[in-house]
Amino acid sequence: MTEPHSNSSAETRELISFRVGEQEYCVDIMAVREIRGWSPATTLPQSPAYMRGVINLRGAVLPIMDLACRIGMPTTEPSVRSVFIVVQAGDRTVGLLVDAVSDILSITDDLCQPTPDIACENVRHFVRNIISLEGRMISEISLDRLLPEREALAA
Amino acid sequence: MDELEAIKVTFFQECEELLADLEGGLLAMQDGNDDGDTVNAVFRAVHSIKGGAGAFGLEPLVRFAHVFETLLDALRSNEIPGTADLTAVLLRASDVLADHVSAARGLGMVDMDASAAMAAELKAWTDPSAAAVAAAPVEDAPEFEGFTPIVISGDDGMDDDDLGFDFQPMTISLDAQAADVAVLDNVWTVSIRPKSDLYRKANETGLLLRELARLGPIQATLDDSALPTLEFLDAEAAYVTWSVRLETEQGEEAIREVFEFVDGDCELEITRGEAPVADVLASLMEVALPEPAAPVEAPIAVAPVAEVAPPAPVAVSAPVPATPPVAANAPAAAPAAKPAQIEVPGPGQSVIRVDPERIDRLIDLVGELVINQAMLAQRVGEYGIAPSSNLAMGLDELEQLTREIQDSVMAIRAQPVKSVFQRMPRLVREVANMTGKQARLVMDGENTEVDKTVIERLADPITHMLRNAIDHGLESPEERKAAGKNPEGVVRLAALHRSGRIVIEVQDDGRGINRERVLSIAVKKGLISPDLTLTDEEIDNLIFLPGFSTADKISDVSGRGVGMDVVKRSVQALGGRISIASRPGLGSTFTLSLPLTLAVLDGMVVDVAGETLVIPLACIVESLRPKAEEIRPLGPTGSVLAVRDSFVPLIDVGLTLNYRSKSPPPTEGVVLLVEGEDGSRAALVADAIHGQRQVVIKSLEQNYQQVEGVAAATILGDGRVALILDVDAVINLRRRGPPSPSDPTLIAAE
Repeated sequence: MTEPHSNSSAETRELISFRVGEQEYCVDIMAVREIRGWSPATTLPQSPAYMRGVINLRGAVLPIMDLACRIGMPTTEPSVRSVFIVVQAGDRTVGLLVDAVSDILSITDDLCQPTPDIACENVRHFVRNIISLEGRMISEISLDRLLPEREALAA
Repeated sequence: MDELEAIKVTFFQECEELLADLEGGLLAMQDGNDDGDTVNAVFRAVHSIKGGAGAFGLEPLVRFAHVFETLLDALRSNEIPGTADLTAVLLRASDVLADHVSAARGLGMVDMDASAAMAAELKAWTDPSAAAVAAAPVEDAPEFEGFTPIVISGDDGMDDDDLGFDFQPMTISLDAQAADVAVLDNVWTVSIRPKSDLYRKANETGLLLRELARLGPIQATLDDSALPTLEFLDAEAAYVTWSVRLETEQGEEAIREVFEFVDGDCELEITRGEAPVADVLASLMEVALPEPAAPVEAPIAVAPVAEVAPPAPVAVSAPVPATPPVAANAPAAAPAAKPAQIEVPGPGQSVIRVDPERIDRLIDLVGELVINQAMLAQRVGEYGIAPSSNLAMGLDELEQLTREIQDSVMAIRAQPVKSVFQRMPRLVREVANMTGKQARLVMDGENTEVDKTVIERLADPITHMLRNAIDHGLESPEERKAAGKNPEGVVRLAALHRSGRIVIEVQDDGRGINRERVLSIAVKKGLISPDLTLTDEEIDNLIFLPGFSTADKISDVSGRGVGMDVVKRSVQALGGRISIASRPGLGSTFTLSLPLTLAVLDGMVVDVAGETLVIPLACIVESLRPKAEEIRPLGPTGSVLAVRDSFVPLIDVGLTLNYRSKSPPPTEGVVLLVEGEDGSRAALVADAIHGQRQVVIKSLEQNYQQVEGVAAATILGDGRVALILDVDAVINLRRRGPPSPSDPTLIAAE
């Protein structure tokens, strides 16, 4: 891993990129707590389809969210290669179910582009910006928007 | 000594917090938030530091804090206006105070000149005219008022670090007006020998001395010659005698009046007489006063007095040279000065202050340990290891240890209900006064322990039940007499453990529930239909219905719009139950039962559509396997279960929670007869029962949000999360019918 401030005068950020279906997404490494292999989750009743349920993460009840489904793509069928990325979103910790983790990126802000206008509502809502790196297109997830507002769904 | 050191460490920890509060408050004032609360908080911070410092004899700190406090007090009572200039001065003063605290702690030194200058500046604010004579003795006069009761420290600069804890003889001067000593001729000698009863009745010689000091300047000398060595010391006994030299214009009567409340609890001798040291003291005063900021002066000034010694017998009989009184009023006397402390902390009473979060964390971790241990046992079991093998035996021991650790950790948070109970006698007196009734409170089981989480939430329901018992339960003294009862009613408040729960009973010997009136009110208010036939018990429990209040007129005491329904709801929110039993003419008993902790829950583990759920045991009335003839269809989809003579709606949990879209025949499953908060019953259908278990409650909201039909989550022995069913929500969900198919987030049911 490179030192965040050593290679560029511009501010360097580190991101973790992962695959969801055939697409690449990423989140800020500072928000990532850990990456774990898939384990079956306890289904939550009365919950949106993207909520895969809850698991026990060292004593805490961690909700697992199917990122593909959340963004509006077909639900992920968990396989042995599936992992979930434990991220901090606001004051909550949540696991994101993704197909595979790719690598750690060190990027500067000039590589970031705003999300193109043509994107659908869901994408505009959840994708903060798009990073173009070595011919790849990686979308950065806006973590604070992933979880529903507590009040909104609480019955 | 170590214990004292430990307390001192705590004091300095508190000081840090207080200094932070002080600074925060002052900064808020600087930003214009100079409301009363802020000023009060600032005042309290300085006051607390002063009080604690006094207890440890941190003389320079006390002195400075006192001046600071005086100014804040004036500001607090609006004697002087708060201005930006003043706040700036106060902020600087807070820095000096922090220096003093650090110095007292042994970290760094205080610039005594700067401190004296600051003190003078503060005094100038309090009383501009006194600025010139800032160090004059008169300034110190109000010092008596601010002292904490345990400290009999005035302005004396005694120079002995170990004083008071080695049981050395000591002299304590409360003399603030030493300059006047020589002029007064009306001198009394008061000898006070407290008996242990005096302390048992929570009286305090310090307070008496302070009262005496109101009559005139006093000089108190402690005679501890009767004090045995520590091994023979009875902590509850009284050994010391105070000899007080008092100058007052008032007569013996006034002095006796001070001791009015301790009459008989102490031997008192009041004699008119002159103490020989007065002149010496007065002359010393003159030496000491012109040199206020010279700490070196104090010990020198002390020396001659030591030889003269106070008139008290202690000086002769004591093994160690008596520490003399020095009534120096100099603002900065000996830095290491240490006044005597009256109360010696009892041995073995050490208490640790622990951040509750640390305990919670520990409880979480132990919960983890229990789960891990269960997993380990399961895995080992899977390998088919013989139960007699070393490994299996080791695991058994581990299990036992884990249980013990869990119990011990839970015990850390357990507290006796006393803390709640002890507020009640006053409440009963007040309520009885307000309602014109005579009531006596009898308490039982104050030492019953219960988890901290529960204790905090006991006060409200108990308060309410007590108020209710006096206001509605007890009759007026006249009515009671007419009924042949003692005019004074008895309200009994008891706590006990019963089958893993804490039970609180509030019992009165009043008139009992007037069932006719309750019934008529309930009908009048439309809470029940008039043609309903109810049992006595059912009528009694009508008072828990929302919107029910039996008081004819709304009194101050009850009927503030908070009825028994609120009590019932808040109790049920804690997983508790409340019930009432009443006998006309003999009184009523409210019984409140709560889990011992809110961290764990007794539940029934069941299987529903492949998911494991926990149903709180508190809700379950009974479990049964339904026979086909007991299930009667009702309407197009519904069915009811015949339980003895009543019909209870059948609810398939799997269907209600959308775990499945079609319910299997109830005869293949198990039925759990549950009771909701409102007393309504339902028969929940589950696939199988795994048994009863105590589970650790985990919040779903922490990382997600509330889920309808789910109260919380828990982690089972296999490490998987199981949801705890919210029985009421499930009943309500069913009542509302299946979720509407238009809701895209839900899979359509049925």
